[in-house]
Amino acid sequence: MTDQLGALTTIFTEFYYWVTVVLMFLIHVGFCMYEVGASRYKHHQHTLMKNTMLIPLVTVTWFFFGWWIYWAFPTGPGIAPSIMNESTALITDDSTFSAKWYLANSEFMAINLGDHISGVFWAAFLLFSWTAASIVSGAIIERITTFAFGILAIAIGSVFWTIDAAWGWHFDGWMLKILGYHDAYASGVIHAIAGGFALGVLVVLGPRIGKFSSSGEPRNIGPRNPWLVTVGLFLIYTGFWGFYAACNIPIFDLGPEYGMEGVTYWTATNIYVTPTTLSGITFNFLMSLSGGLLAGYWIAKGDPFWTYSSGLAGVICASAGNDLYHPIQAMIIGMIGVVIAYKLHYWVERKFKIDDAVGAVAVHGYAGFVGLVICGFVLNGYPSSGYSVGAMWDGSTYATINPLGQFLGAIIMFGVLGMLPGYIIAKVLSGMGKLRIPREVEIAGLDYEMMESAKEDEKAVSSATR
Amino acid sequence: MATVTNWIDHLNKPAEEVVGAVYPGAGSTETLLVILGIVIWIGWHVITNKSESDELSRLAKKRHGANDHKSNITDW
Repeated sequence: MTDQLGALTTIFTEFYYWVTVVLMFLIHVGFCMYEVGASRYKHHQHTLMKNTMLIPLVTVTWFFFGWWIYWAFPTGPGIAPSIMNESTALITDDSTFSAKWYLANSEFMAINLGDHISGVFWAAFLLFSWTAASIVSGAIIERITTFAFGILAIAIGSVFWTIDAAWGWHFDGWMLKILGYHDAYASGVIHAIAGGFALGVLVVLGPRIGKFSSSGEPRNIGPRNPWLVTVGLFLIYTGFWGFYAACNIPIFDLGPEYGMEGVTYWTATNIYVTPTTLSGITFNFLMSLSGGLLAGYWIAKGDPFWTYSSGLAGVICASAGNDLYHPIQAMIIGMIGVVIAYKLHYWVERKFKIDDAVGAVAVHGYAGFVGLVICGFVLNGYPSSGYSVGAMWDGSTYATINPLGQFLGAIIMFGVLGMLPGYIIAKVLSGMGKLRIPREVEIAGLDYEMMESAKEDEKAVSSATR
Repeated sequence: MATVTNWIDHLNKPAEEVVGAVYPGAGSTETLLVILGIVIWIGWHVITNKSESDELSRLAKKRHGANDHKSNITDW
């Protein structure tokens, strides 16, 4: 970094992503509080530990192979050629953004004076990975083993979401080129896939004991600590700001990037390297949050649990196109997503006896799916990338955003990379007898022995004289 | 093991030699470290899976009722 402008840009970008990572840490704090608040007293500590341990498990596997997958898989492989090397193979050659540089034993996966970006960018994506796994965690509380959840967390956090990010988020992703897929703030890339994955697991895992009456009527097992749930969701909102910022490139000269001779245009861009502004997405974040809250309060008749969750669902639904929407479009889209997600949640619960303890499938999965589909209509005709605009199915250029491409993208995210792997892995774990805790433990409470031990300690301490 | 022993000497090198890895064992130990990390990761699963299975089996045998935990709620 000998050039002052280059040095400033690099150091600013490094610090920018670092700050987003710190902000996004609050998402996980929020998820932990939320889950503990939603679980019953006798399961609290195990519920907390289950969600907490996904942090190291997803982190180390993200280091070992998750990050490599993101950079290797944009072409499919075999679906559309890379704009870097024109090959449809895995990108493992000497290209600038090749997965080769992100192998766990690469010198760029450590302190390297020639690279100020890889670590913070790796961490920003890692925090997305935690979020994906944590979404699944909430749905399956009080009856899954920590071992099984660890395997599932690694699968969604370090394998399947990173494949979908390579396909639909990477600037070279085949879904952009062939389908015109657009998902700026991850309605599908994070939320629909994680919601779908959770649904696949729930189908195999089954409901909590007592959730359904003998006639099949669902019973409400409401949050045990509404204040913890409240603070948790506010923290998730807060971390979501960091998430939005982390999905942008803060400062970039698009002139030379697009090959425009003599043109200099410094701007923030979205993940696809097309222009947007941090200012504009701030409008949309807050208006879609507000739309979600308004709709949630109305449809849930003021129920706090659903109202807070609906704020989140509103943002999630509008996220696919929040880099370009008008704020009032974002608000209305958030409202539509909430109504559909809420209705679908209760319909699926009654029809298929699915016990989603925190409504994660609805808030993330259904709202994310709907958001992708709506984006296809509202942003119909916008380019999915700045590099080259072509026809759908062309493969070598980038298709424009369109309803069919978004709908197919939503199916890929929710169903193909989400629900299907979740179902299969849960089936395998169930077949091994490792998925669900014994019935007697579920009734007694996962924390029974810890509580019993604490009570004995209390008795001993209170009867002590010295 | 030290990759840099004098920062002034290091930063005075040609630019292409300055920019690079500076952690201990750079260029020779990375693969070994990755193998070690993977062993630790897999080993953690094996060990904690066994301890969790033991805990769940032990608790399942006791057949506590749904409200038995209430007698264990502490005052502190």
